[in-house]
Amino acid sequence: MTWPVADLDAIRRLRVLAAAAPGAFVAETVIDAPFEQVWAVAADLEHELPAYLPDVRSFTITRRDGERLEARARGYAGLRAGFDIVLRPGWCVMRSRFLLGGLAAVPDGQQTRFAFLGGVRIPAQRAAAPALGLFGRWAGPRVLTRFANRVRQRGPG
Amino acid sequence: MTDAAQLAGLVRAAQRGDGLAMAELLDALAPAVGRWCGPIALQDADDAAQEAMIAILRGLRGLRDPAALFGWARAIAVREAVRVARRAAREQPAELGDLPAPGDPMLAADIQDVLSRLVPEHRAVLMLRDLEGLDERTAAALLGVPAGTVKSRLARARASFRKGWQA
Repeated sequence: MTWPVADLDAIRRLRVLAAAAPGAFVAETVIDAPFEQVWAVAADLEHELPAYLPDVRSFTITRRDGERLEARARGYAGLRAGFDIVLRPGWCVMRSRFLLGGLAAVPDGQQTRFAFLGGVRIPAQRAAAPALGLFGRWAGPRVLTRFANRVRQRGPG
Repeated sequence: MTDAAQLAGLVRAAQRGDGLAMAELLDALAPAVGRWCGPIALQDADDAAQEAMIAILRGLRGLRDPAALFGWARAIAVREAVRVARRAAREQPAELGDLPAPGDPMLAADIQDVLSRLVPEHRAVLMLRDLEGLDERTAAALLGVPAGTVKSRLARARASFRKGWQA
């Protein structure tokens, strides 16, 4: 006898994280490319994050231990931040002292459902939640468009 | 460090708003949440599991003892699964003709069809009793329903399962 089991795929998990982590937002899209092609861009954090996140100048992996990574990011406004990262196929979460980021991908035939999570941790987080929500609605689709462009430019390679 | 100690550390970090710890708790809880929500919410189980995980992570600050995480999360997941299943039933009431008739040989082989003939609260009690191993009174108390009123339906559901398994 097999009981029905619910499936929390990577996209749903990222939605959960965005709903539960204060100051986080999630944006979703469907990319017209197979999962492997999409995730090749997502997993290449060092080269691709600066290409589709406008504020990131460089992102350097400083340590790898299985699916756990550490990285150092530099921004155009002088921001420097160390990130702890969990990265595996279809799932990536990155956390610095003040920032939270996430990527999730799920195959959908020859297409791929893709989601991006962004978030900030600031002291007056609850008071700032409406503004952060507005920012997410503005920034999320732009990041997704830039990401999809990178997938197209990089090709099936 | 033991698994329990690691889990306690993750709970404490997630309670402080650490997003990476929340993500790791998600990994730890997702299989159990899927197991709890599946038999209760059936075709809406994925939605129920998502809403249950949101409620669990949002409510984490209220968990005083990290060792109680799974029991505490189970109560939330069951409550959310029942709520989602009831909401879905209101939105899409089943046509009588869609439900399998008693004695249908197809029904006997399909646990999902058997479960679909019970109301969500009773599916929850059945899951807690037969899958999680709780006694009837504890399971009913967790759901806030009287044990006596569900007992006969549970017996009928179990009889259907036995029939299905033997078919």
